[in-house]
Parts: sequence; structure tokens; C-alpha cells
Amino acid sequence: MTPQDTLQEAKIFGDGLGRVAVRAITPNIFWLTHCLGVLAQDYYKEYFAVLPNAADYAGDRIVDYPFSAFLIVDEKSLLIDTCGPKQKEAFLDAVQFCLDGRQLDYIWISHVELPHAGNTGALKQIWPSSQVVTVAGGENYELHGLENALTAAPSDVIDLGEHSVEMVDALFVDHGLSQWLFERKTGMMFTADWAHNLHEPAKCHCFKFLDEMFEAGYDAKTHVEDIKVNAWYQFPWLAWCDADILCEAIDDLFDQYDVKILAPSHGNPIRKDFKQFIPALRDGMRMAAEMPFSHVL
Amino acid sequence: MIRHVIDDLYQIGEHVETEHGLEAILTYVILNDGNPLLIDCGSHIHRDSVMAQLTELLGEGIPEFLFLTHSELPHAGNIAAITEKWPDIKVIVSNVMLPYIEVLPVLPLEQITQVVPGTKIEMSGRTIEFVDALLKDQPGSHWVHDSRTGALFTGDGFGYMDTAEGSQSVVDGSDAGSAGDVSQAAFEAYHKIAFRFLRWIKPERIAADLRKMFAKRNVQVIAPIHGNAITVNIDKHLDSLIGALTAVNKSYRK
Ligand SMILES: [Fe+2]
Ligand SMILES: [Fe+2]
Ligand SMILES: [Fe+2]
Ligand SMILES: [Fe+2]
Ligand SMILES: [Zn+2]
Repeated sequence: MTPQDTLQEAKIFGDGLGRVAVRAITPNIFWLTHCLGVLAQDYYKEYFAVLPNAADYAGDRIVDYPFSAFLIVDEKSLLIDTCGPKQKEAFLDAVQFCLDGRQLDYIWISHVELPHAGNTGALKQIWPSSQVVTVAGGENYELHGLENALTAAPSDVIDLGEHSVEMVDALFVDHGLSQWLFERKTGMMFTADWAHNLHEPAKCHCFKFLDEMFEAGYDAKTHVEDIKVNAWYQFPWLAWCDADILCEAIDDLFDQYDVKILAPSHGNPIRKDFKQFIPALRDGMRMAAEMPFSHVL
Repeated sequence: MIRHVIDDLYQIGEHVETEHGLEAILTYVILNDGNPLLIDCGSHIHRDSVMAQLTELLGEGIPEFLFLTHSELPHAGNIAAITEKWPDIKVIVSNVMLPYIEVLPVLPLEQITQVVPGTKIEMSGRTIEFVDALLKDQPGSHWVHDSRTGALFTGDGFGYMDTAEGSQSVVDGSDAGSAGDVSQAAFEAYHKIAFRFLRWIKPERIAADLRKMFAKRNVQVIAPIHGNAITVNIDKHLDSLIGALTAVNKSYRK
């Protein structure tokens, strides 16, 4: 199998808690993703149990949650995030498969959490000359195993050849020092922890793009609900927000960037007809902000 | 550096340099009549000194629980060393954590227990209570309250940038630098970096929740991981923190 064959179907490395699959979004941009598949029902039962409608996520419908990285291969190559230490072996194999003998030039980190940055050290061992890129702002990155990182700020650009990536002000974050990324040639926007759906292993949704999921039974109403639920979990600070200001920021973002592909860390990438999904992203965020939060004070 | 906070509560750890001042990376230790409890376990870059300080403080004592406020490396970076030294230690994390992928895979998953906010553990005449972390940078975070010392362990919340002088002592009202008092500006410098969500919120809403949390239980000590413990003027420090959150929020408005 060549890396480009994964435009059609996934190549899977490893298994169980450590598995990682590769799909090509374009011939030169790869989605490297871990999710649990049949194990999801055990690992997410408690997680989704606190929802007011838990059965929709961990009962009648069993959902799964991906942890993803993306790799752009051009004259220079750039990896967006690293998956977690538990996926180390399969992830390194997957990166090598996609690079197909080339060097890894940049390891670009959205934020420091383990599922996003936890294999940086292992990657540096294979490609010692690769440059780690993190967000500027005053963190001591050695604490996060990211020593000697180059720091970048919104609107900074890294040229890769035909592709170039621009750092984007991360709007909706858990960790304070986070960044998003926009690839200018393809219009791919990487939004880290925001704007993701869930998927159902039982419907063979693992490793599918969103358009393929819709062909396999996913629907618009569930999509908005999933975006809502994910935002509610990911951003408990929504409890203290008014939704209007968030929706304005979403509109401004998509006015500023001509997004054609959406690549979130924890959802199925949208590779086609992106603009039609903007209302779902906005509505999902509004509904999350309007959901009750039951903080135990 | 081992520092006594109050009663049977100690803090250990180090400060690191940042662009904005000195940032503490602490572990708290409750001696608990011979059944020690740990809150977080420090950074892997301080492994040797953290383990040496723990050994000095605990002697032959074997810690029964490690409560993780959350699992980022500066908080859970020594979990391998800890489980190597005390293989039976039980690790307690938030219910919104996915331990298989969010905790370093160095101990059996069966050794990690997830608790929902509101959970209480009774032991040796004290109650340990887990509550929502109102200021957090990882969804799977919680704060921990200890009824005996009145300490509220606030993870990344209430962190502050310190000076060389202030970093020498817990905040107990003595006159060495910030040891007398943590200023609103010191809270602000830290919270601006740590909690970018503050740009979106209505400060009065988070302020109301923080005040409710403090009003509901006996808080004698504010114990952040990124700042020495605060044992005096709790109400005033809560006011300063709320002032800092409000100022950070305002700084995003043109
Ligand atoms: Fe995150
Ligand atoms: Fe994430
Ligand atoms: Fe944190
Ligand atoms: Fe922290
Ligand atoms: Zn899956």
C-alpha cells in the first residue's frame, strides 16, 4: 500500500489502546488518528454518564472519540501534534509510512497535553534535526518535555514548498497556551480541541471522513448535538459565557480565512463542502453555552 | 525545598524561571498520622530533588494516595518514580479524565480511580473532598479540600509569579516580598497565560461561583501548585484573584 492509497481506505498500525490509522486527506496531507473502536464502550461509559441524556452517548448509541495528528509532506514536512505515549509505536510507524523515506522537518504542537504532544521526544530521537514549534507567551516548555522549541505567534508563517502554514489565534481552548493552524494552499484549518463530532464504531465510522460518515448513516441533527456535547465537556468555562460573543468570533474566523478543509484533533475531518457546516459549528457552540452546567461548588 | 504550611501539611518542590517571574512547581504532602497523602507529584525535570524531599519528609512512611489535580507533566511528571518507589499507591483523578491516554502509561490502569466532584473520602478524622476545578486548563481536573487543615488545593488556579525573595517562604504574613501578600498583579500575570478562556466570560459569573465555593467550606489555606501556599488573609486573596480575572478579561476588550 502506498501513502496515497489511503485516500480511499485506512492503513492501520497496531491495535487496541495503541492503534493508529492513516488516511490521506489530499495526496500530501495525512490524518493520523487513534480511536478505540470496539473498546470504546468500556472506556467512555463513565465519561459520558454525567450527561443529562447519557443513553444517547453510552447506551443506545455507543460513541468513540479520536485523538489525531496531521502531517503535511512537501519540500519540507510538518507534523501537527503527536498522539499520546500509549500510541507511540504505531504512531511512529504511521509517520514513517507517510514520509516514505523523507525527513521530518517540523513538529508543530498545538498545546502541551500528552495526547497532543506526548510523543515529541520519541520523534526527536528518530529525526534529531526536526524543529519543535510551540506557541509564544511565557511558558517554560522544558516542564512539558518540549525543550529548545521555536515559539510562534498568530500570523507567523512557515513555508514548506507549495504548502505554507500560518499560525492562528486559537479561539476556544482548554490550555491557555494553544494555537491553531491554517494551511494556505488547501485551505485546511486545524482547530485542535474545537469543532468536533463523535463517531460510532458499530456503524464503521472509525477512520472515515465526515462525508463518508454521512453516507454511512450519520445525520445533520446528530452532528450539531455532538459538537454541542464535545464543547460542553471540553470547555466548562462556557458556563460563564454569553453565546452571542462566541458566535460572532466564529463568523469572524471564517470571514478571515477561506476554509475548505476542517481538521479538528478529536473529530472526523471535513474534506468537502466545508462552508455548509459553518452553521452547525456555530449552533453547536451556542447550544453548549446554553446547556446547564452542574459545577459542584 | 520542604516547607511547613500548617498542622500536618507540607509543600515541596522547586521554582522555575519564566519570562514573567518565578513559577513554583509544587507537590503537597499531608502526613495524616502515618498514612501520608500526596497532591500532585511535580515535574520530571525535578525528579531527583522531589524524590529526595519526599524521602526526607516521609521517612519510612508509605503514601497511600496520590491525588492528581490533573495529569499534565508539571503535575504528574514523577508518577513513574513514585510508583517505582511505592508500587501500591492509589492514584485518584477526575471522572472527566481518560487515564489510558492522559496519564503517562507507567502504571496499571486498575491503580487509577476516577471520582466525580462531590466525592468524599473519610480517613483518620479528616474528610478529603473533591470539587470542580473552577480554573482549569484540562477538562479532567478537580480541586481537593482537606477538612482538617482547611486547605483547598487549587491545581493551576490561584497560581502566581513570584520573586526570588517571595519564593523563599509560604505566604504567611511575614514581610519577605510576596510572603506578606500575593498581589493582584502577580495573580494576573499567571492567570492571563494559563486561562485564555477568560477572554470570553462574564467575570461576575465566575466570581459568584468562586465565592460560593469558598463560603460553603472552611478554607484556611489556599494551596496552588504554581505558587507557595497562602495561609493568611484568605478573603482578601480571593478578592485579589477575582480582581485579576476581571482585569485579564478587560485586557481582551479594545
Ligand atoms: Fe486540550
Ligand atoms: Fe485535545
Ligand atoms: Fe495545567
Ligand atoms: Fe500547571
Ligand atoms: Zn473510532
